[in-house]
This record gives sequence, C-alpha cells and structure tokens, in this order.
Amino acid sequence: MRTVRKNSTWLRLSVAAMALALLAAACASDTGAEDADAALSAAQSARGEASTALADAAAAAAAADAALAAAEAAQAAADLAQATAEGNEAAVAAAEQALAEAQSAAEDARSQAAAAEQEAAQAREAAAAAEAQAAEAAAAPPPEPPPPPPPAAAEPTTSIKLAILSDCEGAFGAFHDRDIAGVVTAFAEHAGATVNDRTAPQAGFSNASINGVAIELVGIGCADDTAEAALRETRRLMEDIGAEIMIGPLSGDESIAVANYAKDHPHQTFVNGTSGAQDSTMAVRAPNFFRFNGDGAQWNAGLGDIAHNVLGWETAAVIGDDYSFAWTSTAGFIAEFCAAGGDVISRVYPPLNTTDYSGFVEQLPGVDEVDGYFWAVGGAGLVPALNAFEDAKGEIVGQQHMGNLFWGIPDVFRAIGPRVEGSYSGGFGNAPDLQTDKAAEFRAIINSHFDEIPFGGAPAPADAAYFDAFFMNYYNNAWGLIEGLKAIGADLSGGHEPLWEAISNVTLDAAFGEISLDSNRTAIQDQYVGRIYIDDAGEMQSSTVAFVPQVDQTFGGTFTGDPPPSRDFPPCEVRDLPWIGNATPVVDGVLQN
Amino acid sequence: MTTVMTGAVNVLLGRRGRHVPWQRAATRLLITAAIVFVLVWIIFLAGNTSNGPAVSAPSDFLKSILNALTISGLYFIVASGFTLVFGLMRTVQMAHGSLFLLAGYFALEYQLDFVGVTATPDRNQVAWADWWLPLVIGVVVVSGLGLFIQQVFLRWNQGQDLRQALITIAISIVLGDQMIQHFGGVAEPITFTHEIHGYVEFIGIRYGIHQFFVIGMALGVGGFLWLLLKKTRTGMVIRAGVDDTPMVQALGINVQKVFAVAFVLGSALAGLGGVIAGSSVTSLSPGVDGQWLLHSLVVVIIGGMGSLGGAAAGSLLYGVVTAFAPAYLPTDYAYYSIIATFVILALVLAMRPYGLFGRPA
Amino acid sequence: MILTRLRGDPGETPGGVGSGDYARNTRKLAAALFVALVLVGVFQAITPGVFRHYFVDVVMTRSLLFGVAAASIVFLSAFGGMISLAQTLMYGVCAFTVGNAVTTGGSKGLNLGWNPWVGVALGIGVTTALGFVMGLIASRSSGLYYLMITLAYGVIGFYFFGQVTVLSGFGGVNQVRAPAFIGEPTDATNPERLFFTVLVVSVVVYLLLRYVSRTPFGLALQGVRDDPVRMNSLGFNVAMHRTWAFTLAAFIASLGGVLYVWEQRAISPTTISLVGILNLLIMAIIGGVLVLEGAWLGAFIYIALENYVRNVVFLNNWIEEARFRTLAGAIVLVLVLACPDGVVGLRKVRGAVTLSLIGAAVWGTVGGLQEGDRGAIAGVIVGAVAGIGAAGLVGWLAGHRDTARGVWSRLLATGRPGQVPARN
Repeated sequence: MRTVRKNSTWLRLSVAAMALALLAAACASDTGAEDADAALSAAQSARGEASTALADAAAAAAAADAALAAAEAAQAAADLAQATAEGNEAAVAAAEQALAEAQSAAEDARSQAAAAEQEAAQAREAAAAAEAQAAEAAAAPPPEPPPPPPPAAAEPTTSIKLAILSDCEGAFGAFHDRDIAGVVTAFAEHAGATVNDRTAPQAGFSNASINGVAIELVGIGCADDTAEAALRETRRLMEDIGAEIMIGPLSGDESIAVANYAKDHPHQTFVNGTSGAQDSTMAVRAPNFFRFNGDGAQWNAGLGDIAHNVLGWETAAVIGDDYSFAWTSTAGFIAEFCAAGGDVISRVYPPLNTTDYSGFVEQLPGVDEVDGYFWAVGGAGLVPALNAFEDAKGEIVGQQHMGNLFWGIPDVFRAIGPRVEGSYSGGFGNAPDLQTDKAAEFRAIINSHFDEIPFGGAPAPADAAYFDAFFMNYYNNAWGLIEGLKAIGADLSGGHEPLWEAISNVTLDAAFGEISLDSNRTAIQDQYVGRIYIDDAGEMQSSTVAFVPQVDQTFGGTFTGDPPPSRDFPPCEVRDLPWIGNATPVVDGVLQN
Repeated sequence: MTTVMTGAVNVLLGRRGRHVPWQRAATRLLITAAIVFVLVWIIFLAGNTSNGPAVSAPSDFLKSILNALTISGLYFIVASGFTLVFGLMRTVQMAHGSLFLLAGYFALEYQLDFVGVTATPDRNQVAWADWWLPLVIGVVVVSGLGLFIQQVFLRWNQGQDLRQALITIAISIVLGDQMIQHFGGVAEPITFTHEIHGYVEFIGIRYGIHQFFVIGMALGVGGFLWLLLKKTRTGMVIRAGVDDTPMVQALGINVQKVFAVAFVLGSALAGLGGVIAGSSVTSLSPGVDGQWLLHSLVVVIIGGMGSLGGAAAGSLLYGVVTAFAPAYLPTDYAYYSIIATFVILALVLAMRPYGLFGRPA
Repeated sequence: MILTRLRGDPGETPGGVGSGDYARNTRKLAAALFVALVLVGVFQAITPGVFRHYFVDVVMTRSLLFGVAAASIVFLSAFGGMISLAQTLMYGVCAFTVGNAVTTGGSKGLNLGWNPWVGVALGIGVTTALGFVMGLIASRSSGLYYLMITLAYGVIGFYFFGQVTVLSGFGGVNQVRAPAFIGEPTDATNPERLFFTVLVVSVVVYLLLRYVSRTPFGLALQGVRDDPVRMNSLGFNVAMHRTWAFTLAAFIASLGGVLYVWEQRAISPTTISLVGILNLLIMAIIGGVLVLEGAWLGAFIYIALENYVRNVVFLNNWIEEARFRTLAGAIVLVLVLACPDGVVGLRKVRGAVTLSLIGAAVWGTVGGLQEGDRGAIAGVIVGAVAGIGAAGLVGWLAGHRDTARGVWSRLLATGRPGQVPARN
C-alpha cells in the first residue's frame, strides 16, 4: 500500500506541476511582452527618426561641400589642361595651386562628412540606450495593467509583418523551397532585402524596407494542398504569429479557402501564391485577395486555336481529374476549341485517386474516331492514365495529344517520358526560352540572389528555378504587393484599404509580359503555348511556340463565375474570342510579328 | 408507464429473440436479387453506358473482364502479404502501403541509375536487367525493413493486436513523411522493360502483354504461396500457427522464427506489388501508400482476413467492381464509380460479417 | 479481449474499465487540464489581452471540440469494445449537412440558406440516423474487423463528398455562418464565446456519457464488450446493443461536427480523408482509449503540438525542413511503445513520472527562454513524451536483461519464455 500511496503523491505532484507549467507557458509574460513591444517599437521609431534626420543633414552638408570642391577641382583641372596645352607656365602654376586648393577643400568636406557621420552614430547610440532603457522598463513587471492600445492610432507604420504560405507536403511539396525563393527574391530585388542564406530560401530575408518601413518575414506556413491544412496554417500565421499580409497559397482548393478567410478578415491583406482556381477570385470576390497570375482556363489560352487551326482537329475529347481545377483547365480548352469551330465529342472526368484508369479511358473515343485528345489529369494519375490509354487505344502520337500546364513543367513532363514528343502544352504564364532582355534580366536576378534553390529536398542550382512557374508566380505576386506598398509609402496606419486600392492599380512590367489586375483582382496577362521536343542530349524540353497577348479571366466573356466550370460547363459553342487566329508564333524564342 | 417504456426499450434493443429466420431469408433474397439484377443489366440492358450491353458489345465486355483480372492480380499480390501476416500473427500491418511505396521508390532510383537517365526513359532503353534487378533490390530492401519493424517493434508486443496496429500506423506516418523528404512529391513511374511490354490483338481486342504478365505474376505468387503453405514444412508450421500458436510452440517449434519468416514474406509481397503496380497502374507519389493500404484492407474485408483463398476471392470481386463500375454505370453516374467499389463492401458485410471466407477473430 | 491486451500488462486483471489507478490518473490529469482551460478562458473573458487570443480561440477551442469527437471513439472502445474509425466521417457528415443547410450562396453545395439552428438540428438528425444504419450493418462484427469496416465507412464518406458535387465536391463548403450569439469572425470583440460554447458542450457530453455508462443499457453494453457470447445466451441482443452504442457515438460526434463547422466556417472532404481519420484516432490514443477524459487530454496535446511543433527547441533545425509529421509519428510511436495506456499509463514504470516531469520542466524552460510561450508549451509536451520514452526504455531494458546485452543477441535469440502470444 505504501508504494501505491507514494505513487499517487508523485502523480499528484506531476499533475500539478504540468498544469502549472502549461499555464505558465500559456501566459508567459504576455502582458510584459506587449508592453515591451510597444516601448521597443516606440524607441525604434524614435531612433529611426533621429538617425534619419541627422544622417540627412550631414549627408546634405557633405554633399554640398563635396560638390563645390569637385567643381573647383574640375575647373582647376580644366585650367591646368588648357594651360599645359598652351605651354603657359605661369598659368600652369596657378592652375596647380587651384587644384591643390580644391583638393584640400574636398578633404575638408570629407572630414566634415565624417564628423557628421560620427554625430549620427552618437545619436544612434543614444537611441539604442533609450531603447534598452525602454526594454528594461518593459521587462520589469508593470505596476498596473496598461490601458488597451488605442485602435488604429494615426502613428506612422514602423514595420509590416509578412507571412508566406506554401505546400511542403502533398503533391506540390517538392516546390516548397522554390515558392519561398520567389518571394525572397522579389523582396531582395525590389525592397532592398538581404537574402539570409544564398542556398536556403527558408532562411528568409532581412532588412527589407519600403519608404523606411521595415518588412519583416515573420512566418512560413506549410500546407499540403488541402483546404483544411491551408486554413489551419493561415490562422496560425495571421492570428498567432500576427502577420498582417500573407503571400500564398499554392493550389486551387487552398486558395478558395484562403479567399473566404480573407473575406472574413477585412483588416488583413492576402496575395496569392500560384494557385489557379477560378472561384477564388471570380466567385468569392474578397476585396483583400489579389492574384498576379492567371487561372487554369487562362493558362490554356491559345491551345484550342492551335488544335483547330494548326493541327486541323475538327473533333476532340477531353479527360481530366474530377475536381474544380481540372474542370477550369478543360473549360479553357473547350471554350476556345469550340469558339474556333471545333467540336468536343467526349468529356471524361475520372475521380481523383483513381487506382485503375482503364475503365475510364475506355470511355474515350478511339484514335481513329476523334482527331485529338486534351489531357488535364495531374499528380499521381497522369502517367497511369497515359499508360492505360496506350493499353486500350494504341500508341501515343504527339500530334494527337495536348496537355494543360502539367505538360509544360519540366519535372512533370519528363516523368511522362519521351512518348509525348511533339505535343502541345498549356502555359503557366511563363516562357523560359523567350529571347528577350526582360527574360534574361529575370534570370540574372534569380542568380544574383541565390546560388542554390533546393528542389524536393535536394540541392539544385538556382538557375533551375527560372524554368519554374511556381517560382515566377510567387515572385510576381510578391512584387505586385511591393509595388502596392510603395505606392502608399508602406503606410498602413489608416487601415489596409489604401493598400488594396494601390495593389489594384499596380501594373507589373514582368519578365514575360505586362500584368495588371481586373475588377476581380486577378491577373490580365500574356500567355504562351509550349511544345515538347527532345534536345540533342536526349533530354525532353519544352519550347514556346505561340504567344497570346493579354488574356483575362472572363476568357473573352465566356465565364462570369456563375455557373463555374463543371463537368458539363461550358457547353460547346461557336463564339468570338479576341485572340483566335491572332496568336503570334514564336520560333526559337523570338516573336514573329 | 414504466412497463410501456421498458417495453419500448426492449423493442429498440431487440431483446426479444435473435436472428429471426425470416430476416435472414429476406437478406438472402435481396442479395440474390441484386446479383441477378446486376448480371441482367450488364448482359442485356446497360443502355447509355460507356460499354453498352454485353450481348451487343462482347469485345468490350471481354476487355472489361481482362482489365478486371489485371487489377485483381495486383490487388492479390499486395493483399496476400497483408492477409498472411494477419492470419498468422493477428497483426494488422498498417505500414503495408508504406512498404509498397518504398519498394517502388527504391526500384525507381536504381532503374534510373542503371539506365543512366534522370527522368523516365524510353521503353526501348530499358533492358531486361534494368527492370528485374531494381525489382529484386526493392523487394529485398523492404523485406529487410519489414524484418526490422517486426523484430524491434512488434515482436515483444505479440498478441496485443490493437497496440501493434497503432505502432504500425505511427511507423507509416514517419515513413510517409520521410519518403516525401527523400523522393520528392512529383509523381514518377517505373518503366517496364521492353521485353515485357508489347501488345497482342485478338477478336478485335488490343491487349498488353505486360498486362498478361501482371496476371501471370499474380498467378505465380498465388501458386507459390499455395505450394509453400501446403507442401513445405514451413508452410505446415504457418498453417498450424494460424490455427493454434500456443500449441505449436508447446510442440517445441520455434514460432518466433516462423513469425519472422511470415512477416518478411508479407513485406516482400508488398514490395513486389509496389514495383509491379508502379510500372503499370500507378505512379509513385505521396498518398499512394494510403491508397494501397486501403485496397489491401478492402480485399481482406471482403475475402475474410487470414485466408489465402479469401484474398483471391476478395481481389477478384474488388477488381471486377473496379473495372466494371466505370464501364457499366450510366454515363451520368460514372463519376460515382469509386463509391460503387465500396458499396460492395457493405453488401458483403451485410451477408457475411467476417467476409466471404473469414471466421471470427 | 483486444482492449485488455492493449493494456500491455498480462498480469493485471482489469477490474472493469474505468476503474483503478489508471482511470484515476487520467481523471486527475484531465481535471487539471479542464480547470486550467476554464481558468484561462475566464481570464481571457475578464481581462482581454492577458492570454494570446490565438491560444484560447484556436488551440483550446479546437482541443475541446476535437475532444468531443474523440470522446465518441473512447466511449465506443471503453464501454463497447469497438474501435471505430468512422467518427471522423460522422462529424464530417454533420458539418456538411449544416454547411449545405445554412450557406446562402457563393459556395458549393445546396446553399439552402436556412436558419442556423434548423441546420444544426438537421445535421445532428441526419448524422444520428446514418449512425444507426451504419452501426446496424457493422453490428455483427467485432475487434479488428470492426476497426476495418469503420475505416472503410470513413473512406466511402471521403469519396462521397468529393464526388457528389451537388453537396460539396473536393473544394468543400465555405462561408458557413454560425448562429448570431457566436458572433461573426470579423467581429473581434467577443471571440471567446465559441470557446465557452465548446466548453459547455464538452462538459455536457462528458456527463452524458458517464451517465449512460451507468444506465442498464450502459452496463449491458459493458457486458457485451467483455463476453458477447454469454450476454447473447442471457437474452441480450448483442448486435442491437452495438448498434445503439454506435448511434449514440454518432450523435456525440455530430456535436463535434457542429462545433467544428462553427469554428472553421468551412468543411471540405480532405478534412475527413484518411489523414483526418488517423489524426482523430491518434488523439484518442495519446489520451488513452479506455478512459473518457483521455479524449480531451489527447486532443489538447495533439492540437498544441500541431500549432507549436515548430517552436520545439533542440529539434528546430530539423523541423524547419518541414518534417513535422515525422515528429508527430515519432511521438505516437514512443507513447504507444512506452505507455500503451496513453499519457496516463505512466504508473507502469515508476520512474516515468519523474523523468517526464524533468523532461517537461527542462525542455519547457529552455523552450520558454528561447522561443517564448510557444516554445514553452511545445517543450513541455515534447519533454514529457521524451521522459516517458526514456523511462519506457529504461524499464524495458531492466525487465529484459537479455536485450541489455545487445540487440544482436536478442535478434538471434529464440522465443522468450513468458511471451506466449495469446490468441482467441
């Protein structure tokens, strides 16, 4: 009995201790922390102002002096040169003296500048001391609970907290580092940030600032392409870590969930990562959710035209996953192919996670009953579906098949294998082989900020990210946000509405064409059609073959958001699309217009 | 009042009488009617379906049967390992799907290495040894891992069914996450050697030699297991162990060794299934492990756990539903075929709670 | 049968589940948690800003509502001897029903736009009825078969809501509104209302299940759990008892579903996929599947870890590579191996309590110093688990000297005496 009692004492103790620990952990100086935060930020802002002012003054003075000295020196040098040329020794001497004077003046100016700098440093030190004092004061237990902070005080913003949401698990988990690298690169390039680790994007960036307002990366979320995880991570980033602006998410269903969350949280701003669901902007219409990339239908602009007018397909069959992204993707092809005069005679949508595609592929017409097939199957199903097609219908001939964006992502189409050589693929808004200055510049930007960007957990050269539209879309979305912040001087003291207004009006002069936003805050952008070929080394590659300018989300008026694309929408009908017959061919990366 | 309430409770709890004969008869009648209806539908009616009635489109019907046999074969290879482990040790191996996927990944890595490419090669580049050798490597690796799991985690928990199931669930979570880390998330297939790959045409049907090969492998595995269980001493011990483990042990037989052998065999079958399925009906990506664990579960629930014949019957039935549902459901309902494959479960269970060949655990 | 094996202590005769040290320990721990939660919630209500809103609104609210759902698993296993993996489906069905009934447009589903309370009634009704039908079909099975059949139910449900686009589709139902008294998510004035609602429901569910276990039905159910054959010959209809137990569990899970959809404002099929099913099971296991209170305890530990796992010091760098499911799996593995009864099975190894306490204190303190409150919470949990694991290992080594001599000798050793695998 003794042992039992001893045990229970232990237990009681442990229970009490654990409960206490949990409680303590939960409240862990939250009050103090908030005080300290406030004091710190006040001190920081004071310091910032002081140093800016001092530095400004000093710099101005120094600059003026230096300019004067330089002017004198220049004058003297000119005189000297002239004199030398003329051989006038007296003049030379005079000029030399003038030069020496000018030099000494410049020296003076320099020393003045140094003094000013020193002064600034002293001021900074003083500010730091004040800050430390403030921190100390805050760390000490406050005598009484502080008054709640006044709502939306008209103080100028000193820092903005930013979070990134991407997928580190699930079907797109391999792209995690590239997604983050896209955001980090944008801030390094456009907001003066320092990349923390040139081989590990997840280390983030520091020292980003816009108009003197620091942009802090406070968290990176990790979802798994499900709405559930995206919402959970969004809440963690926004409500726990306290981010004000989030860039993400990655995939369609996630973005619908996040856009709905955005609608419920009007004091925050959300910018898409790379998701292409139509609903997230067209149906949800959250005023604070922005997207600087196209949706699944836009990405396929140009394919239907090529199928009908270049390849001469009169009839086509489509097969795609049975969920909203693939419906949207096939909708883009169907709308354009039918608009051009073709007829879609079969639509097959196998459920996600189908184990055996043979029964579904059987539903497609045979290779001699239809002119071509459009594929919008993704993830683990793509290769098995193609295998089942080969088994049931016959050899795959590149000319008879088209795919959506998955056929344009190198890592994915290489998994399909060389059998799809010669087939056309939908775009993703990028055209890496385009021979333009802007494309080259974009590539150089990536390589200037990163040495390596891991892919799928393994090290990979940063340059590989240039070919990846996941990277590009995260980059463009982050860039759009930066431009929006710049337009309002990064001042969020009056709420986020001005920022929304500013972002809506941003136009990006992006690597592969201009990107602006429509009234639903989604991108109007240029699209490219790719074609798979095998290079001399036997590697599968994709080359850009057509350019479709400025495609919008309504797809030339085809979609309104109600009804959204589904298993049988849109119907197949002839209509007028602005770009049909007007796509510009691209040969060897050069536009042929 | 109390009497009324008690009476009501008794009626609700069905306390009066057990299975009344007419209930059973009614169930049987319903099931029989359902089977007859399905047969009549497939053979004669089947209007507005992708295949059409079998009498008017016999070649489509035959093809569906072949498809059913192929997928059944794969189900059988994977599920036979699962049911073997369960039958002998009462261990629900929830990491079975993880071993399936891991073997596939190992085979894929080695295949790419052997062929000397970084992505899916053309079939003609894949020589005989470039498929078989990775297969062997994958199977050996997961057999070793299976042995490790059994010896380190399960052996000393023998007899605690649920705890073992939970242990293997935890292992499957860790393995699944680590596979994403090491092999990435992009779906990749293994490629059949061109010596297996090819097509034959007969009576208007084109069918893959490699698909027949899958059926052949399944028959081979079935035959091997049958011989092992019926004709060898190890098999006798395993069968005896299934029936009465303490008695076997009391007879001086080293039952731990038998357990280890059975577990290695089960893991190897998961690996074999993983490589073959990864070359044919699936590609390797996160989530595939869970799917195939589920397939194994469905097969053994239908067939009855721990019975080789049950696994065969369960695979066949499940395979037939998998292949026939999209082909013989009216086209507007073909989207729901994946649900139909599970409805079969409810039907079987309503009739036989322990599966077709099962017995109470 | 299975459940007694789960205890991992062949020498012990269970004096009825829900009794003994084991249950007492759980109750103490859970009671402490409950008291802590109530205190935190009250503090939050009185003095906003003392605790992080997030801790109350998300971590604790979610812990309690998943606790309700997990309690339905624990109820079935503790009193009915059935491990059900269909409970995730049950709360999903309810959440989808509520979602379809109350949304007013701009979302997938039927968008019926009914009053939220009508939606709640409908959701609970539909789920309970479905629970009856499913329970009836599965009622003649038991043990591992029950586990697998209910798993199959769960997966059918996932595909059903994924494929039937009239009701949802894979994108799920969004913009689900809670009744007015919960408040809108945009209105940040009184966010802890939902927390208190969930707290009250949790307490009611707990009391209800305890009450049911003492009614004649509950006692008969425990009889069915322990010896179905004898109960059958005594004239009890075993199948119907299982069916009604499953129906009650479905009702409890549906309450969890209502709370879930109020909290999340959305429901998608991925929530009830295999991952979701396993997550709920893990919560029940961590707390110990045999004692009711364990459900909330397990849910709290799981949810807290899910939120703060990145702040676990010492493991940070490793987790930054985005591998925190591995950590979750490892924790479950340690718990199942070292203390099969969940966190409350500590008494099995005398030193476990001490070690877990030390682990929690050390890890929690370091975590608190380095990462603030999040680090402290994560550190306490991981430290406690590590302590349990260490104690388990020590105890195991002490109990099995042959192993201490080396892993190889054990691997080569033949069957150990006293380890006859039991079967029935």
